[in-house]
Amino acid sequence: MTETTQPPAQAEAHRLADGRVSVRLYGSLDINTMGGLWRELDVRLRPMQALGLDVDASDLDIRGGGGLALLHCLKAGGFSPGAVVNLHGLNPELEEILRLHAGQDPEEDQTGQRRPPSVLEEIGTAARGLALDFREQIAFVGSMARAMAAALFHPQRLRWTEVKRLCIAAGANALPIVTLLSFLIGLIIGFEGSKPLAQFGAQIYIADMVGFAAVRELGPMMTAIMLAGRSGAAFAAEIGTMKIDEELAALTAMGLDPMQFLALQRVAAGIFLTPVLTVYTMFTGILGGTLVMLSLGFSLPVIYHEMTTRLCVGDIGIGLGKSVVFGLIFSAVGCLRGFQTGQGPIAVGLSATRAVVSSIFLIIFADTVFAAAEFLFSK
Amino acid sequence: MNAGGDVIISVKHLAVAYGERQILRDINFEVHRGEVLVIIGRSGCGKSTLLKHMIWLFRPQQGEVWIEGENIVSAEGDARTQLLRHFGVVFQSGALFGSLTVAENVGLPLGEFTNLPEAARNYVALSLLKVVGLAEAAHRMPAELSGGMQKRAAIARAMALDPHILFLDEPSAGLDPVTSAGLDALIQELSRYFGITFVIVTHELYSINAIADRVIMLDEQTRSIIAEGSPAELRRQTDNPAIRRFFNREPLPGQTIQPSR
Repeated sequence: MTETTQPPAQAEAHRLADGRVSVRLYGSLDINTMGGLWRELDVRLRPMQALGLDVDASDLDIRGGGGLALLHCLKAGGFSPGAVVNLHGLNPELEEILRLHAGQDPEEDQTGQRRPPSVLEEIGTAARGLALDFREQIAFVGSMARAMAAALFHPQRLRWTEVKRLCIAAGANALPIVTLLSFLIGLIIGFEGSKPLAQFGAQIYIADMVGFAAVRELGPMMTAIMLAGRSGAAFAAEIGTMKIDEELAALTAMGLDPMQFLALQRVAAGIFLTPVLTVYTMFTGILGGTLVMLSLGFSLPVIYHEMTTRLCVGDIGIGLGKSVVFGLIFSAVGCLRGFQTGQGPIAVGLSATRAVVSSIFLIIFADTVFAAAEFLFSK
Repeated sequence: MNAGGDVIISVKHLAVAYGERQILRDINFEVHRGEVLVIIGRSGCGKSTLLKHMIWLFRPQQGEVWIEGENIVSAEGDARTQLLRHFGVVFQSGALFGSLTVAENVGLPLGEFTNLPEAARNYVALSLLKVVGLAEAAHRMPAELSGGMQKRAAIARAMALDPHILFLDEPSAGLDPVTSAGLDALIQELSRYFGITFVIVTHELYSINAIADRVIMLDEQTRSIIAEGSPAELRRQTDNPAIRRFFNREPLPGQTIQPSR
């Protein structure tokens, strides 16, 4: 494979009297010059519909496997379907490697190629996947309930330093984004409500609107959704990477339950930190709405009075109750998706995505259940 | 094997340090065209680091790496891209792209760097997989392959652009002796039939003896080359304790539990 000054590989072809075609290949054939020769052979030989090909490759300087692939295609009739091909002029070593490694047309090696699945197969595969996922979720809920019960009776078994680390990583470090988003949402609610309420001279009720929204709905839900995107995905990615690196297998082999050792601390962190962050979100959301009201000319005592006459401790309790459930959901789902991580480099990313999507769905679903239950019981 | 050709790689005064820690010190050696050069040494002596600096994954703090007459350390832009096409690299893990089939992995560089029509790209990819004995696995995903098959597929991908040099980092790591021997045979075949120059990092004694034309040994104490020659020549240097221990698989003094008296 020394450098050459030879021209790129080319072909000369002419028809012989007996219907056969004589082809002379010459020049330097490597992966860079092969494209031109491939096209040339395809354009020139195919229309000739030769009965046979007589290929002289004695002036061809072949460099590397790409050139051999072209020769093999030529020999297998890839450019002249149905023709008997006689290839000569190769040095013995190249002939040997052609014989050794290219005994069969690679294009015929399609046995392992997957045919695209039919619609029915796809529906069946999806249904089976859902059923398996559901079964795994039930098993996970069972294992998690057992681990939580054990932790309740033996709290010293919980690795509190790990819980603290997770609370800092998932909670304290999330404060800037939580502050910004909840404050902005408070502003948005205030601005959106100000115009329609002004038509009725009822702008004072912006205080109630912001208060109720922040305490009962947006506080818990926005916090949980932000944590699901930020920390739930991180839980799934961490555990997924540990699974791929066989760290979960190592824990199991040591007699440690990955559920108890990894998931429980994360779920505990989720349950502890979500209500704390929710209270903070409620406060910053209300702050945003209050700023809007101040800009509309209401004084702080008026806003405070309006808000406290409508909002009661029960509303805050409902918001905090929801946040505990949402915290449980995002952390447990993050862990579950981590444990479900498959093989390969895309598996961890897939688990993180699934963790976020499932968490958000379940959080909104749980919120709907809360709303419906409250509606029914308040009658 | 085709040792004895002109110089294809020349490493001159290469030095690497991570902060205060010196990893490689004044490394000098040459690789001849068609040769199988094996870099050996104990774990942590800087073998893989040397390889990664030779292929420009990292820029050395000092020294030059000349590949086919071009200094890869100072090459920039298109010149470096062209230079990178002179060689293929097989990483320790195989580093196949998990979202692509084996054939798509091999065909990827062909699609990016050549003007081959799609039919030709597929043909070349399948042909290369045939060369490495993986034609049946062409349409499988990398995760479905064994370790040895992944290494073979990685070699096929590294060969896609007809490189003059193949760099292999620990090709036998984690493989059973039979698979490892098969990989050694493949390297010998590729060297013989395609004239490819190999630079291989390994500490598998069987592989060293089977495939190496020449060996350079790195020392973790001096952080430099302490021996160079054929495997047989190195094995005879029994007066050097580091070389003797490596080839005789002797533990370091103090690494074994001594019975109490």
